Amino acid sequence: MVQKIHSPRLDTVAMVEKTIKKSKENLSKTELWKKLPKKMMYQTFATVLEHLIEAKKIRLNEEGKVEWIQITGQEKEIKVEKMEEIKKEAEMGEIKLDEQTEKIVSELSEIERNALKAIAIEKKELSVQELSENAGIDLDSARRSIQWLNEKGLGKARIQKSVFVSLGEEGANALKKGLPEKNFLKELGIEWKKISEIKTIQKQEINIALGNAKKKGLVELKKEKELLIKRTGKGKEFLEKKTEEELMLEKLSEKEIEESSLSEKEKSVLKFLGFRKRFLKHKEKGNEFIQVTQKGLEAVSVLGKTGERKYNIMDPVEAVFPGKKQPYFKFQDEVKQRLVNLGFKEMENPLITQEFYNFDVLFQPQNHPARTWTDTYRLKKPEYGKLPDKKIVSAVKSAHENGGKAKSKGWRYKWNTRIASQLMPSAHGTAHSARQFVKGVEVPGKYFTTARCFRPDVVDTTHLIEFNQLEGFVVGEDFTFRKLLGLLKGFAIEIAGAKKVKFLPDYYPFTEPSVQLNALHPKLGWVEFGGAGIFRAEITENLGIKGKALAWGLGIDRLAMFKLGLNDVRELFSQNLNWLRKVV
Amino acid sequence: MPTIEASKKDLEELIGKKFSKEELEEIVLCAKGELDAIEDDALKIDIKDTNRPDLWSTEGIAREIKAFIGKEKGIPEYKVLKGKRKAFIDEKLEGIRPKAAYAEVRNVKITEEVLLQIIQLQEKICQSFGKKREQIAIGVFDSDKVKGNVKYFAAEPSMEFVPLGFSESMSLREILIKHQKGKEYGKLIEKFEKFPLLTDEKNEVLSMPPIINSESSGKITTKTKNLFVDVTGFNQELIDIALKIMCMALADRGGKIYSVELNYKNKKIVSPEFKEEKIIFPLKEVNELLGTEFKIKEIPKLLEKKRMRGKIKGKNLEVKFGDYRKDIIHVWDVIEDIAIAADYNKLEPEEMNVFTLGSLEEKSKETNEVRELCIGFGLQEIASNHLTSKEIQGEKMNLKEEFVQIANPVSLNWEIFRKKLLPESLSFLSKNKHCSYPQKIFEVGRTVEFNPEKETGVEEKWKACVCIAHAKTNFNEVKSILEAIGKELNMKFKLKEETISFLEQGKSALIQFENGKKGFLGEVNQKVLENFGLETKVSVIEIEI
Repeated sequence: MVQKIHSPRLDTVAMVEKTIKKSKENLSKTELWKKLPKKMMYQTFATVLEHLIEAKKIRLNEEGKVEWIQITGQEKEIKVEKMEEIKKEAEMGEIKLDEQTEKIVSELSEIERNALKAIAIEKKELSVQELSENAGIDLDSARRSIQWLNEKGLGKARIQKSVFVSLGEEGANALKKGLPEKNFLKELGIEWKKISEIKTIQKQEINIALGNAKKKGLVELKKEKELLIKRTGKGKEFLEKKTEEELMLEKLSEKEIEESSLSEKEKSVLKFLGFRKRFLKHKEKGNEFIQVTQKGLEAVSVLGKTGERKYNIMDPVEAVFPGKKQPYFKFQDEVKQRLVNLGFKEMENPLITQEFYNFDVLFQPQNHPARTWTDTYRLKKPEYGKLPDKKIVSAVKSAHENGGKAKSKGWRYKWNTRIASQLMPSAHGTAHSARQFVKGVEVPGKYFTTARCFRPDVVDTTHLIEFNQLEGFVVGEDFTFRKLLGLLKGFAIEIAGAKKVKFLPDYYPFTEPSVQLNALHPKLGWVEFGGAGIFRAEITENLGIKGKALAWGLGIDRLAMFKLGLNDVRELFSQNLNWLRKVV
Repeated sequence: MPTIEASKKDLEELIGKKFSKEELEEIVLCAKGELDAIEDDALKIDIKDTNRPDLWSTEGIAREIKAFIGKEKGIPEYKVLKGKRKAFIDEKLEGIRPKAAYAEVRNVKITEEVLLQIIQLQEKICQSFGKKREQIAIGVFDSDKVKGNVKYFAAEPSMEFVPLGFSESMSLREILIKHQKGKEYGKLIEKFEKFPLLTDEKNEVLSMPPIINSESSGKITTKTKNLFVDVTGFNQELIDIALKIMCMALADRGGKIYSVELNYKNKKIVSPEFKEEKIIFPLKEVNELLGTEFKIKEIPKLLEKKRMRGKIKGKNLEVKFGDYRKDIIHVWDVIEDIAIAADYNKLEPEEMNVFTLGSLEEKSKETNEVRELCIGFGLQEIASNHLTSKEIQGEKMNLKEEFVQIANPVSLNWEIFRKKLLPESLSFLSKNKHCSYPQKIFEVGRTVEFNPEKETGVEEKWKACVCIAHAKTNFNEVKSILEAIGKELNMKFKLKEETISFLEQGKSALIQFENGKKGFLGEVNQKVLENFGLETKVSVIEIEI
């Protein structure tokens, strides 16, 4: 069913009204809320106040305190015979409305007009359901019209509380599996049976069950070594017929029943069922009724003449929500576009990769601790992928084993293709730079990607099960470490809007030298913004890349959090529709 | 990245200088350290370099800082005195855990803090550098309780000794089953018929590497003065480094290092041995890599600050360093240290003026087009995770399918890769039942399914999913959207009636695009709505892009 937000019930509104009126001095909202005789959610309370302000019953004064506004002309209920009279008068157009009522009438919405007509035609009180049918409006609108017409003095509302009964957990269970007393009888036969062998009833309840059944003559008992029991003919009859209790349970299973609508006999059955634990559920509901007032009848008379509805331009209207981008994706789109404008090409960024790209191409030895089980995910199925061209594989192999073409000692161990072809969800964005190296790069060239990365972290305010890295590299023949610093400074200014930057020594297994970029954020002070370095010669030289490749990575998740004002990284992927609708 | 706990006072005493918090923050950078926390005297320092185990203790950090601030210069020197002990290493350990290295360090003044540092360094080296004791396991013993020469051999699992922390003796096999450390590291040796054991001349057990020391000699207290260090593993070079780093730290505390003669079947090694290594390269490579203009004279001074020694030899630079620096395998490893010594922040960033043409991936462009369209229809974009559960993708959807699965998931909630977007969207809707309706959402993202023809054995498909939830939504509402998408993107399609396990029969269809892409649309059936706890009607489209 469609759910509406906090539509307060009429008696709740009345309670708040009463508290305001009773109070000797004007109270602030919170004071008032605390003073309410019954507790209610603040949200609901706030809605009630808005309601009362709209209805011009209260206002907030300069100090922000709630003030009661006296309204004149609140009408009393009228007698039936008088209604006829007034209606006639009204039809003859002899009624002059005062200015205030005229304004109220002119501002009635279509729904209110229909509701008002419906109650004016009927002489008696209408329930919400009746009003809905007679006025041709839905239940929710009917409920609201009752409130509104009451507040405007055109109708007089009343609440009648009644109790509704429905099946409880055990009741539903009994309906499905049978009443315990019947199950008990079913288990018995015409043969004598030992009491201790009865399974359908628990030990502690057996005496009561026996007593009841005996009293009704449904069973016979006999004492030998042990107490024996069997079913009587009456017991059999009892089994074949539906009991009143069963009929009542069936009735309740169809729909909930208002207690007062039942006959006395039915009520006693219900009472009996109520003795059993969790057989029934009781719920109190308030039924709202409305009856037209004199002012309402007067108003009806002029309805036809006021022409089209005039809107109270201050009235609240229904909220509509535009189609929008997910805020984090929107931010990513902007960053991507900025990088494209700076001359960067986007690289492909598969979710699943061979370890070859995630580690081996990047010169991380196969016995490196970061490659162990707990730091990255692995796939159960499929387990292995294919490796690229043999030439490239052997270049990577020799880089590891002896440094290959680079003047390096290498890691001096036997490199294993099987390990390299294991599959894993990409654990860092640099895996995609590695893939680009293998595919080939233009020199000079600039590359980037927004990579989805996976690591088996425990999820908390700073860690996600999946996170994003903005990664890339710049390659050129005459590139230097100072140029890398220049590139990073540019990023900090262009992308984070930072005023100043600071460089810290850092470590990555695939870059040398390595550097951490800290940026002075206008609000947060110094924050870690990214990491970078020059790809090791063992990588670039063995893959035949001319010049130096400068690797960089920026913590885009963090950047987005600053931008969207979030403290919890999980909110970047918020599952809260209200937030998504609201956030700008 | 190892996090080192240290005492500020202890660190300052080792360096011989006091620091304010800010100064400390600045100075630990020279060891690639980041001051993570400071609370009174207690420091937590992240050492970022996973290849520099020599820095993973207060002594190591102090050693690096001392050179950086000029208290000492160049390569740290450690003298090894000739010791009397010999170690005999059994060849039958081959395949089990064949290599070992030993040293003795005497006259160490062991305070509580020193004790903590010994344990920390030992742990960090074994855990991180030694791959959780697989490659390196270190034991430290009270040397005075070790009698004479030691024997490292493959022992019968029935042999017994009292493991550390226990009062009764247990067989080696029992230790693997009952002792905490046995349970933790037992998998490293349990498959062998014999287990590694270290005993002294009196056949007293020192330890069962890489599992646990004995209670008798493996217990170090503040009363212990002389230490015997044992390192075992598979690679002599690697365990020698670990041994040296332990000895260096103890010697920095005033200890004197004594050698132990290692006797393998065919060779003898004096352990430990501190040597210098060198690397020679053209001097110009420094300025070429960094983009700097260092003068020839400056470079040796910078190297001294980083515990190295540089010598100009014509056009070349010869750099010497202690052989514990196994991380130096290429010239650039040295040049980075020069840059750190010069201070990164004193190197002026140089603007990069390279003109290239930027572009988005084709797939990004295509998906952006679809996203823009969806927004035009008034749909709110959402983002869900790629990792999800079998429950959401399978059970709740009435589907029995195989998914691309993680081998080591942290939780069943993130065990598989999503194959469809719809289940995630329905899960989203189920979390927002309190929000006003109609709810209109879409997601464009990747799904993963098996495809043995692809290089990774899986195919990552981009898809778009639209969900519309309100009391009166129906098939026609989403069909209108599908037709509009088809028209705008110029993609022709046909609809085909077929039973879809999660959609209402007669109110759903398969979509077949001319270009081979597929999809489905229709009303979600009652069963699936119930599975997701949804009480409103939902009509959907999901198509491949």
